[in-house]
Amino acid sequence: MKKIIAGVLAVMMMTAAFAGCSNSGTASSSSAQGSAVAADESSLFGDEDNIKLKVWGPDKSVDLLKKQCDAFIAKYPDKTISIDVVAQGENDAATQLLNDASTAADVFGLPSDQLNKLVNAKVIQKVATSFLDDVKANNEENVVKAGTVDDTLYAFPETADNGYYLVYDKSVIKEGDEAKLETVLEDCKAAGRKFIMSAGDGFYACMFVFTGGCQTAGLEEDGLTQKFSDYDETEVISTMQAFSKLFHDYSGTFQSLEVSNISSGFASGTCGAGIDGTWDSASNQAALGDNYGAAKLPTINVNGEDKQIVSMFGYKYIGVNAASQFPRASQILANYLTSEECQVQRAEELGWGPSNKAAASSDVVTKSATIKAVLEQAKHSVAQADLADQFWDPMGNLGNKLIAENTDPTNADYMKTLLEDTLANIKDV
Amino acid sequence: MKYIDYKQLNPFQKFAYNFTKFFKLLPGRVASFFKAIGRFFVRLFTGIGKGVANYVTRFIKGDFAVRLSYLIFGFGNLAKGQIIKGILFFLSEVAYVFFMVFFGWGNLSKFGTLGTEASREMEVDGFTQTVFGDNSMLILLYSVVTIAVTALVLVIYIANTKSAAKLQQLKSEGKHIMTFKEEMKDFLDGKFHVTMLSLPVVLISVFTIMPLVFMILIAFTNFNKQHMPPGTLFTWVGFENFADLVSVTSGGKRGVTFIELTKWTIVWAIFATFTNYILGMIVALMINKKGIKLKALWRTLFVITIAVPQFVSLLMMNQMLQVNGAINVLLSEITGTEVAIQFLNSTPLMARVTVIVINCWVGIPYTILSASGILMNIPADLYESARIDGAGPVKQFTKITLPYMLFVTAPSLITQFVGNINNFNVIYLLTGGGPSTEQFYQAGYTDILVTWLFKLTMSQQDYDLAAAIGILVFIVCATLSLIVFNMSKSAKDEEAFS
Repeated sequence: MKKIIAGVLAVMMMTAAFAGCSNSGTASSSSAQGSAVAADESSLFGDEDNIKLKVWGPDKSVDLLKKQCDAFIAKYPDKTISIDVVAQGENDAATQLLNDASTAADVFGLPSDQLNKLVNAKVIQKVATSFLDDVKANNEENVVKAGTVDDTLYAFPETADNGYYLVYDKSVIKEGDEAKLETVLEDCKAAGRKFIMSAGDGFYACMFVFTGGCQTAGLEEDGLTQKFSDYDETEVISTMQAFSKLFHDYSGTFQSLEVSNISSGFASGTCGAGIDGTWDSASNQAALGDNYGAAKLPTINVNGEDKQIVSMFGYKYIGVNAASQFPRASQILANYLTSEECQVQRAEELGWGPSNKAAASSDVVTKSATIKAVLEQAKHSVAQADLADQFWDPMGNLGNKLIAENTDPTNADYMKTLLEDTLANIKDV
Repeated sequence: MKYIDYKQLNPFQKFAYNFTKFFKLLPGRVASFFKAIGRFFVRLFTGIGKGVANYVTRFIKGDFAVRLSYLIFGFGNLAKGQIIKGILFFLSEVAYVFFMVFFGWGNLSKFGTLGTEASREMEVDGFTQTVFGDNSMLILLYSVVTIAVTALVLVIYIANTKSAAKLQQLKSEGKHIMTFKEEMKDFLDGKFHVTMLSLPVVLISVFTIMPLVFMILIAFTNFNKQHMPPGTLFTWVGFENFADLVSVTSGGKRGVTFIELTKWTIVWAIFATFTNYILGMIVALMINKKGIKLKALWRTLFVITIAVPQFVSLLMMNQMLQVNGAINVLLSEITGTEVAIQFLNSTPLMARVTVIVINCWVGIPYTILSASGILMNIPADLYESARIDGAGPVKQFTKITLPYMLFVTAPSLITQFVGNINNFNVIYLLTGGGPSTEQFYQAGYTDILVTWLFKLTMSQQDYDLAAAIGILVFIVCATLSLIVFNMSKSAKDEEAFS
């Protein structure tokens, strides 16, 4: 059996080596660099050998992950490594890991908001000190911050694109009008089109309070109760009122629907603009063709001042199972999978926005209107991390109440109680 | 009130009289229900007492072999020549000892605390690894398994002593002692019921009762997101979760939510059950009426809605009722102005009425099916003689059709009512609990208790609270259905229509 494995590995190494040769000059030089580093890193394995790892990634990325894992194996010819890549949704990964860490994958993808649960249950490994400085230096500051719990970085940043932005039909929204929410709505109304966002979903509705300055700021010491930043209550309330008033003024134009209605609205010519996420960009682009426009979220006028809408922004990470039999190898693999090289491959093949600074300035990224809009919006965002489980439903309710027909936008007292109740519900553990 | 006085009342007074009578009698019925439960426990404990007494007398009267079988399983059988049976008894004891030593005792000994050693992290060269300590959930689960196995072995143990004593008696009386083959044959003959029922009993115990016990026990722990194994331990908290649910003053919103949702759950169950029942019966009557053509066609048309899976129709309805959904679009086209009615997302009343109406769509066909079968079964001569006596259609309905229907369908009506209390699909797929509100803890206005329970477990990991809700719902459902069933004509007067 060992002979067969060794044979297969040898063949794989050969193909990897030849693949390197057949590529352009730059690629081979980088692989040469890689092997130099590999010699250094081999010592990191310690006494681990005959390594068997299981990797979980979302369905779409499995093919690419397999390729990347093969490349990883080829990097360390003196070790016997076999890697099994299994499709597993990123949200479920955390649940599975909590159910039984001993049978879960060694290396897995996870979104930023699941991190806390895993840290509390002690089923995720800290990022090893050997990689810490590199990871911190190579990635965007916000990504690193969102992956940090109690001053400890727990996972390797993989993407920085889990956010939403303004998508619009260029034939409806005039150039320059996409900067202000008022003009976006006006253009939609003039064209008889709808403006769609999912205001009853906490993920989007949180923008109504975030924009006013009331933003999430980690958790209390118990690791469960939500903390909020210091904020000026009148400011938050007048921002909520401004949103509510705008939605009521354009009540025929503004519609609160699930985001999937945006692309179908574009296709049927009923939707002029909407607030949608990266995951729908392909279908939106397909529906609009050359008229596809993407931009950061617009501003909103609050008491005469144009305020940038602040959104929630999530990141994805690759984490290592704390119950792994091969903690060292798992860490090295996770580090490799989040390297610049792998992130660029992901941007090319899957359209995922990289968290790595060098990868973010590569051609693939800078040429994509969507990724550009997302990364632009990321600057005006709150990280989707350190959130209490109770965050979503009360926030969604706040959104529902702001747009409800029987809500009076001029009633500041109502907005005040609504805000207070919502925050109290979020803090109610 | 005498019968003659009752007969002179007008229908409204009659209804009022019956109504008040029902509620006057209710406390007595509830009390007798609990008395019955009390009697059950008395019988149970006297039974156990008798068993223990027999167990002791068997030992006193037994010979050496019988007495030794109290320590060594199967010794009595071996001594009297039942070799195979004796060995089987003995093997079960050995297996149990091994089970306890290598698995059972380790868990059972921690059952009182549910574990004391928390998980900790170990760090070598900057690589961390978690050393897992006790896992409270697994301890609880395996303890339940161990207790179940122990109960089974106890049954085997008692059977072993009984069998030993029986053999002693047979031997002293000089009767034939059955060989193993003969006893096996007996399982196909005299003890055939044991053979038939053992598999279902085992399956129900393993797949229903044991998980149920595990879930019930969770209601008395603090297994929630603050105490998540394997990272942290959880432990016993007694009735704290139940206290959380019924206290309105403690500042949290759980109590208020529980009470409000319970009210709506009962309102929902009543409306959902009776709208379906009455409307379904009316449609069935109309189809069944003499002179209606194409009866088979109408029946088939209604039954076709059953052919579409319930969840599919519900999700479709959900889409149709959206602001930009089919119904609003249709209304806009008809009226020529833009109609945007928020069916599921505006006021609580609107959403609740919508849910009940939509439920008719998925529920009525089932009533039509069963009602038309029953209606065809009512003897035609009853109607004939009623007509001769001068009864009109309404009289015939209230005096013949309705009593007959109620008599036959009362038990199924109760099941439907209980089913509606736990009707997860309709609520969750249609509204998802909305319209949302800031007044409740993680629930909306159309949430019923089960959907709230689902939300608590799936998104909040409040397993302890959810288990407590589950127990309360079960108690309410069980009491209601037992009382109402015992009050119904079908139970009191089984022979009425035969």
